[in-house]
Amino acid sequence: MAIQGIDFANLSLKDALDLAILVEDEAQERYEEFATQMDQHRTPDAAKFFRYMVENEAKHGRELLARRIQRFGDAPRSVTRAMIFDIEAPDYDAARAFMSPRKAMKAALASEVKAYDFFVAALPALKDTEVRALFEELRDEELEHQKLVNVELAKLPPDSGLSDEDFVDEPAAQ
Amino acid sequence: MRKDLVFGMAGSGGDGIVSAGDSLLQAAAAEGYHGVMTKSFGSQIRGGESSCRVRISTTPVLNPGGNLDVAVALNWDDFLKFGAELPVSGTTVVIYEAATNIPEDQIPLVGVTPLQVIAVPIAAMAKETAGTERAKNTVVLGLIAGWFGIGAVAVMKGIRKKLAKKGDELVEANQRAFDAGRAFAMAHPLKASMNIVASETKGNVKLITDGNDMSAAAAIFAGCQFFGGYPITPSTEVMQFFTDQVWKYGGSVLQAEDEIAGIGAAVGASFAGKKSMTATSGPGLSLKCEMMGLASIAELPLVIIDVQRGGPSTGLPTKTEQSDLFAAAFSAHGDVIRPVLAPTSVADTFRIVIEAFNIAEYYQTPVIVLSDQEIASRKETLDPIDTSQFKIIDRLRPTAAELQGYTRFKQTENHISPISHPGMLGGTYLASGIEHVESGAPTNSGSVHQRMNDKRTKKFDPLKDRKDLFEITGNPNAPLAMVAWGSVAGVCREALAMAQAEGMNVKLMVPYLLYPVAEGAYNEFFASVQKGLIIDQTHLAQTFKLLRMHIDLPKGVHPLSRSGANPFLPGDIVAALHHLLSELQRSHEGELQPQE
Amino acid sequence: MSATGTCEFQPKDYKSDLKPIWCPGCGDFSVVQGIYRALAAVGRPPHEIAFVSGIGCSSRIPGYTTAYGFNSVHGRALPIAQGIKLANPDLLVLAAGGDGDGFSIGGGHIAHLIRRNMDITYIVMDNQIYGLTKGQLSPTSQKGRITCTSRYGSMEEPVNPLLYVLAYGAGFVAQASPTDLAGMAATIEEAIRYPGFAFVNVQSPCVTYGEEAQQIKGLKAISESLTAMGHNPADRLAAMDLAQQYGEKMHLGVFYRNPEPPPTYGDLVKERQTMLSKDALPKERILDLFIKK
Ligand SMILES: Cc1ncc(C[n+]2csc(CCOP(=O)(O)OP(=O)(O)O)c2C)c(N)n1
Ligand code: SF4
Ligand SMILES: [Mg+2]
Repeated sequence: MAIQGIDFANLSLKDALDLAILVEDEAQERYEEFATQMDQHRTPDAAKFFRYMVENEAKHGRELLARRIQRFGDAPRSVTRAMIFDIEAPDYDAARAFMSPRKAMKAALASEVKAYDFFVAALPALKDTEVRALFEELRDEELEHQKLVNVELAKLPPDSGLSDEDFVDEPAAQ
Repeated sequence: MRKDLVFGMAGSGGDGIVSAGDSLLQAAAAEGYHGVMTKSFGSQIRGGESSCRVRISTTPVLNPGGNLDVAVALNWDDFLKFGAELPVSGTTVVIYEAATNIPEDQIPLVGVTPLQVIAVPIAAMAKETAGTERAKNTVVLGLIAGWFGIGAVAVMKGIRKKLAKKGDELVEANQRAFDAGRAFAMAHPLKASMNIVASETKGNVKLITDGNDMSAAAAIFAGCQFFGGYPITPSTEVMQFFTDQVWKYGGSVLQAEDEIAGIGAAVGASFAGKKSMTATSGPGLSLKCEMMGLASIAELPLVIIDVQRGGPSTGLPTKTEQSDLFAAAFSAHGDVIRPVLAPTSVADTFRIVIEAFNIAEYYQTPVIVLSDQEIASRKETLDPIDTSQFKIIDRLRPTAAELQGYTRFKQTENHISPISHPGMLGGTYLASGIEHVESGAPTNSGSVHQRMNDKRTKKFDPLKDRKDLFEITGNPNAPLAMVAWGSVAGVCREALAMAQAEGMNVKLMVPYLLYPVAEGAYNEFFASVQKGLIIDQTHLAQTFKLLRMHIDLPKGVHPLSRSGANPFLPGDIVAALHHLLSELQRSHEGELQPQE
Repeated sequence: MSATGTCEFQPKDYKSDLKPIWCPGCGDFSVVQGIYRALAAVGRPPHEIAFVSGIGCSSRIPGYTTAYGFNSVHGRALPIAQGIKLANPDLLVLAAGGDGDGFSIGGGHIAHLIRRNMDITYIVMDNQIYGLTKGQLSPTSQKGRITCTSRYGSMEEPVNPLLYVLAYGAGFVAQASPTDLAGMAATIEEAIRYPGFAFVNVQSPCVTYGEEAQQIKGLKAISESLTAMGHNPADRLAAMDLAQQYGEKMHLGVFYRNPEPPPTYGDLVKERQTMLSKDALPKERILDLFIKK
């Protein structure tokens, strides 16, 4: 998780909204990638969950975008995707072939925690009150997301205790 | 009741279908059946499409079989990716995962109506009994035990053994999944029973191995003391076997920095007096050529196993092909002969690799063994082999008298000179890639070059007379003929039996020695032939062309060739024979009545 | 350029539609992200980039970018990249591959590209294993490592890729890892911008055959930023000192950057061409060269 080229002290509300949108964008894309990886590795339950996360992130992204357009129309954007690194997107390392839905959910949970930490860490530097309010809101939003994932986790039947690795084929040489 | 069943199963790596195939083969062997298993994968390391074919029979198995008797699809997308590798016909029972939600009359197989189609809730049963869908493969084994009578006891015995270390929990989960599959099969009998008859050899010891492990074991048996190589699919397991075993026999193995260094070290070991080898596949063979030329001119024994895969270049790294034939026969520049041998099964890999070492040692030459992905990777059940029947040949070493004024490349009647090695008092000489006189001293004389080329090529004349390196079956005077080698030979052996059963007058030649081309053996074979097929898995009909280069083939002899990863089925070959036969009949009629 | 965008190229412009065959979790997923970002920062359009690799899991990487890709043969990415650069010096030429591809079979080429100061950026995805062929010993595997070709443990010392290229005199030597994606993107960008041969060793875990200690968690534990340490990248000897710790510490960032980059081979070629072009006979008279005066 990292961010580059952003001066939090002088972050404007427009830029803060754009930043938040990009964070959701990045997460949405990563979940999409994970879902594809799971499809390719025939891990359908995890793929299904990652698609659910794509939807969540997209929805949140759309809400933020609506607010941005309402306030600032299509005024040019000055923050870019190149400035943010895995803020809410799960790390690539979090995915595994044949991962159980439980593991997939834990990966998502970890990235929501990561995003929460990001907003918390940014808060002290913020000067603009509107921006502060937005970040607080986003921070709380991440808590909501964590709850959401926890709800999904709770729905899972108990773990069989068996490892998938005991059933799957060996990797194939190329 | 059946005597022979061919199973084709596909899913993804996560479905463990290949390990199910392994369990099935092992169980079948434990119950006294013969069997062979091939595997095939997509291009992912993990979790891509994967399939296996397991053929089980009461008699020895010659190849992985033709159309499937039983097709198992855990998922149709994966199954269909294997196309001709898993052919379904009107006699196939198709078993598939009900969770695919495809009705039994709408399975996505075009142009065939299988004998019976059964949707089974495999994943659901696995989940329910083992607590994880991943136990699908064990459910499948239960279904097979129930429907086809293979492995009712032996499968779980094998699984128990395999998983013993991992705890009871896992073993019991598997047992429940297996039982559920079997109970399902019992509750839903097939329209026509397909149970396999009990094997008469139950209780006999059976070996199970693949071509790569077999060739490494054969090499060690033949006295190979050094392996130098570089990993490349599908040959790497040869080196792996050496890393496991060779130390125990006082030898060593080097995973070198590349193929050139690998074969270089093997050339060095041979110069030092030890039997040595390397193994590789297409791209590696290309790199080894220069060293092979060196070993030829320096007359150093060496065995190179080339496990063929689809080429050129990276090509199809996990699929079989026979297209390295030209590359093997003509592997390096210059006027030179390097013998090329090819096994046709895991079983005869043992004999052929020993033969390769014997030829290498006797003739002081590099020898190429052309294995292929199918033989190298397929598992076969084998009856124990009596190793005492094999003679091991060592290179001709100089006598004490010969070491007085030793001449390394001395002209002899059979063109083979005693070879010394470092450490031998009196035997010092210069080995070199430059042309040399008999003593080993460099030369650039044309007449010496002519003389030494003569020595290095004429020495192989007796090799071409080795009748035991050619297998001829069928009626020796038949007008109809086939020639096939490597893994394709097994398919042709079965095709021969099928054609003969239909009353065809046909014969088959399987050369184990591909190069130098033994003109005599072929001329004799083709003397009675009017129509014939030279069958190989190459796009350019390489075998046909190689033979044509040396022999005047009868006019009616044609190539039957196709690119790798498009396997021949025995039925394809019989169909081609029918075509030839009708041509033959027509031409006979033509002799009586002038044609329009 | 998007209506609200500010720079010419975005990382996604370098991402192709091919789906990676890599195992989920493989470090190479991050590496390709780092490359997208570095390329976007440099801003060359994809069609002006040639991206060459050898064979290996990691060598699949050019196919996942929109650049002109060349997934060549095992160990020969550099010779091919070199030919591309000589044929068209205006191209941005990237080469990439695995530790086996680069330091085993292809190891002999590196020294010569360094000697020639070819303006090429070479990224090695170092996972201390042969991934594609199912987990054999690699030249960077630790001594004692057990793999399927070293069943009783490896008996050889590993290559030190950093020291190797430093010793041959490479003008730019750096290390990166998915543990710090931002740092990786910046490092690769800097490597690309360096005029001359630039080498980036990326510690990219293999989740299927890699050892526990070489997974993200293990790497994080031994990672240290060269900038934070106050290392001066102009100091080649200090760089060599630090590079000695390869395998024990994972230093991230630039080890060495020649403060006065010498002319590249391409520059010298251009110079020579300019100098000699005035002596050229018209092509149609090329055979006049054989007229004995
Ligand atoms: C000439 C040749 N030899 C061997 C191979 C087989 N081969 C393919 S990739 C590879 C090594 C892969 O390891 P590395 O370069 O470290 O890449 P990774 O898969 O770990 O990313 C080998 C030995 C080949 N393709 N060509
Ligand atoms: S085998 Fe290792 S290096 Fe190859 S894709 Fe899988 S994780 Fe990556
Ligand atoms: Mg590697």
